[in-house]
Amino acid sequence: MTYGLAVDAAVAVMQGIAVVALAPLLTGIMRKVKARTQKRVGASVLQPYYDLLKLLHKDEVVSDQASWVFRSAPWVVAVSTVTAALFVPVFLPFSALSAAGDFILVLGLFALARFFNMLAGIDAASAFGGIGTSREMMMSALAEPGLFVTLFVVSLTLGGTNLTSLVGAAAQSGVVLTASMLFGLIALFIIVLAETGRLPFDNPATHLELTMVHEAMLLEYSGKSLALVEWSQATKQLVLFALLVNLFVPVGMPVSMGAGPLQLGAGSLAVLAKLGLLAVLVAYVETRIAKWRLFRLVDLFALAIASGMVGMIFFYL
Amino acid sequence: MEISPASSALFLGALLLYLAGAVLPLFLRGRRESAVSAFLPAALGSLLVVIFAASVIVSGSAIRISSPVAAPLAVLDFSLYIDGIAAFFMLIIGLVALSVSVYSIGYSESYYGRHSVGALGFLVNLFVISMLLVTATDSVFSFLVFWELMSLSSFFLVVYEHEKPKNLRSGMTYLIMTHIGTAFITAAFLVLYLQTGSLSFDSFRGAAAQLPALTKDSVFVLALLGFGTKAGLVPMHTWLPKAHPAAPSNVSALMSGVMLKVAIYGLARVTLGFVLPDSPGDAWLGLLMVMAGSASALFGVLFAAVEHDIKRALAYHSVENVGIIVVGLGLSVVFMSYGLETLAALALLASMYHSLNHAVFKGLLFMAAGSVVLGAGTADMNLMGGLAKRMPWTSLFFLVGSIAIAGLPPLNGFVSEWLTLQALLSSYQVPNVVLQLSIGFSSIVFALTLGLALATFVKLFGISFLARPRSKGAENATEAPRTMLVGMGLAGGLCVVLGVLPLVATSLISSSFGFNMGLVSGYPPFGPLTVGYTAAGLKSLSEISPPEVLVAAASVGAALLGFVTVASRGRKTIVRPYSTWEGGFGPLGVRTEYTASSLSQPIRTAFKWFYRPHTSTERTYFSDSNHMVRRSISFVSETKEVFEEYLYSPTTRAVLFVLDKVRKIQTGKINSYLLYVLIVTAVLLLLAALQP
Repeated sequence: MTYGLAVDAAVAVMQGIAVVALAPLLTGIMRKVKARTQKRVGASVLQPYYDLLKLLHKDEVVSDQASWVFRSAPWVVAVSTVTAALFVPVFLPFSALSAAGDFILVLGLFALARFFNMLAGIDAASAFGGIGTSREMMMSALAEPGLFVTLFVVSLTLGGTNLTSLVGAAAQSGVVLTASMLFGLIALFIIVLAETGRLPFDNPATHLELTMVHEAMLLEYSGKSLALVEWSQATKQLVLFALLVNLFVPVGMPVSMGAGPLQLGAGSLAVLAKLGLLAVLVAYVETRIAKWRLFRLVDLFALAIASGMVGMIFFYL
Repeated sequence: MEISPASSALFLGALLLYLAGAVLPLFLRGRRESAVSAFLPAALGSLLVVIFAASVIVSGSAIRISSPVAAPLAVLDFSLYIDGIAAFFMLIIGLVALSVSVYSIGYSESYYGRHSVGALGFLVNLFVISMLLVTATDSVFSFLVFWELMSLSSFFLVVYEHEKPKNLRSGMTYLIMTHIGTAFITAAFLVLYLQTGSLSFDSFRGAAAQLPALTKDSVFVLALLGFGTKAGLVPMHTWLPKAHPAAPSNVSALMSGVMLKVAIYGLARVTLGFVLPDSPGDAWLGLLMVMAGSASALFGVLFAAVEHDIKRALAYHSVENVGIIVVGLGLSVVFMSYGLETLAALALLASMYHSLNHAVFKGLLFMAAGSVVLGAGTADMNLMGGLAKRMPWTSLFFLVGSIAIAGLPPLNGFVSEWLTLQALLSSYQVPNVVLQLSIGFSSIVFALTLGLALATFVKLFGISFLARPRSKGAENATEAPRTMLVGMGLAGGLCVVLGVLPLVATSLISSSFGFNMGLVSGYPPFGPLTVGYTAAGLKSLSEISPPEVLVAAASVGAALLGFVTVASRGRKTIVRPYSTWEGGFGPLGVRTEYTASSLSQPIRTAFKWFYRPHTSTERTYFSDSNHMVRRSISFVSETKEVFEEYLYSPTTRAVLFVLDKVRKIQTGKINSYLLYVLIVTAVLLLLAALQP
């Protein structure tokens, strides 16, 4: 640590702000890539920012059936998601609060956000919200074991659950090409698609009741509340993509916390580039496949869990 | 080890207060008087118990209160021995009993005029006394006496609303199951008696190191079966979802919050005290517990996911949480067998922390459910809805309980589940690949349980409290009386404290179980919780520090608020209430809302192999020739309780069949009975002759 704790902490907090600030850009890039692969021009990559700004200026319409839970949910969702972002080393090999929480806490905070999203879906007494919540209930319940089994494999290979030390260990050992990590990667990739509501789990671009999951839960939101929820979703997406990249493809990430500003800057650029590539990949995959029927998704979750288990077997044997 | 008279006076004072609470209401007839006279002394007594237990834990020395008995009556030794472990469970009993007692003052008034409030007060106080004494006794005989007192008083509480035949049936199931459990426990103690020749727990502890392997295994399995029945482990859980909806809600809170913990106490005493798992050969016993615990956790939450009776769903969640507790205990046994002392302590800490947490949040949830049942007049969630507006405090407390039990930060459930996950992740240190893999796979089941628990509590809270009321009863619901809210508030506050300041609980548990494992660092109670790791040659730590997380979240909240205000240029948002968008089809009604059953339908379909759902549609037509015009249509969808269906029903049928055959020897003729006597005499003589 060359510049002392205060500078490190300040840099890490900047990282958190950058994550939240860049999250809509990632969504914009993915939408652009999808548009281009579908031979459309598509909106500007900055469109998500314009949308958020517009929403922040709007008044709100709230269902007369809704209670205080509906009103407070966007704030709980936003605060817990952004707080979770502070624990994750995204661009730098360390995070602002890594001594105060680990991987499990990040998952817990995301789960808290999801809990309130689901409750808000029910609160307006609309069948759309109900449909979204009931589907999300099934999907989140099945995603949990897939996520945990990946965590298990990663933690066995790299040690502990502290994210700074996990990412540090990953950077130190380079791309770990063991069988267990490969199967862990497959599991985590599937789960990240599910958690961020991408195809084939959920179609982020539709408002059709047959396919909506996440969007159905937010259907009654407008104005600032909608902006908060949308922005949180984008932040969660960036954080999960970053975890995938930093744990499994740590190319270019500086090894030690005391790396100089130049190395940290280069590392951040490398992460940005990798995130962009992952976004392009996910968006491209999305144009190639259709949304799966809800109950076929169970098989996909089972595949994630199974490959995680195979990874675990490979680690121990 | 000094006998501290002040402390034992505290305990005896608490017992006297409970006794007063038991006897007084039998003589007072008024509405207010009987409720207050029963539960105010109980609340005071519980407060004394909390102080007493905390002082025992902090002082670190055990207390012995002996009752002088003559030598030939040594079996009737009712002397009490309260060490840290007993005191920790007394603390749990005291904390829950305190909030439940305050709650009961308002709650039992609702029975006035329909049932005897005096009897309720008498039985509840007796129930609490018996649980306290079970944890305090130090010999087999008195343990079994108080255990039986606990079972019987809770049985009478289950059938308190005895005018409903359904409740009586539930009570009988409970009575039978609990005695099957007691039989196993007695058997476990008898095996130990054969080995040690004594009935006192002291001698059991003394002989623990020299027990032969077979004795060890049999005691362990018998204890797991016996205490597991009382704690509600799958497949012995069947009494739980029946007894809880039948019992009054304050009793459910006590039974689920505390009585299950007394069973856990027994299990921990036997498995970690009387049977010392000290060689790798004993590890399978721990693995058995881990498996049984994971199965309980998963099956419990799966049953809860499709349940629409609010109290029965909570009862199934008790099955789940007991499973989580037993997973922790089992891990502790596994680690202990391999001599991994620190990890054993970590797993035990996780298990005990979850016991404490479950007592607090399940007590809270049952109390809140009781206030909902009272307010809405039904326990069927499909008839609830919209209660968040009508019962704002109750809904807040239920939400706190839901967040806690779903294991979400920043409440207490998260901390203990974090610890359990850390213990599961540490299983790689066990040098046995079979154990490593089976614990690893159990942890997947465990994670699935957590995911399903979150989903289930979305349903429990969302359907009961949110959206539009689904019945007249829910529409006219009113908030519970103030004493009930205070009782729930106490438990809710504990959920927050145990979640935000985990070091308070961990240091209490560490000193009551006498382990010092370096888990406590920083400046208690604000420091982080730390677990050390070594893997891939790297040393690393896993830490969480809930106070810091809370501060961070508060700053994030402030920053977000500032940002939103700046971005919207300080203009105040106008919020317009308007009816929910109905898709252009006309006004939405109760029938278009999602219900508890429809909300869990995807889960029901995804886990078809478990639920074996059965649906049937019945149509009636105006005329048989024309099936296009229907008079009525009805749809029924049921799920099966697989254990009832495939385990208990066949067993019951088999037992009845055998008994039916055995009955044939009762001919009622004197000749045949004389023949029986002759045969028995002949056999006895033969045996005597063969005796060397």
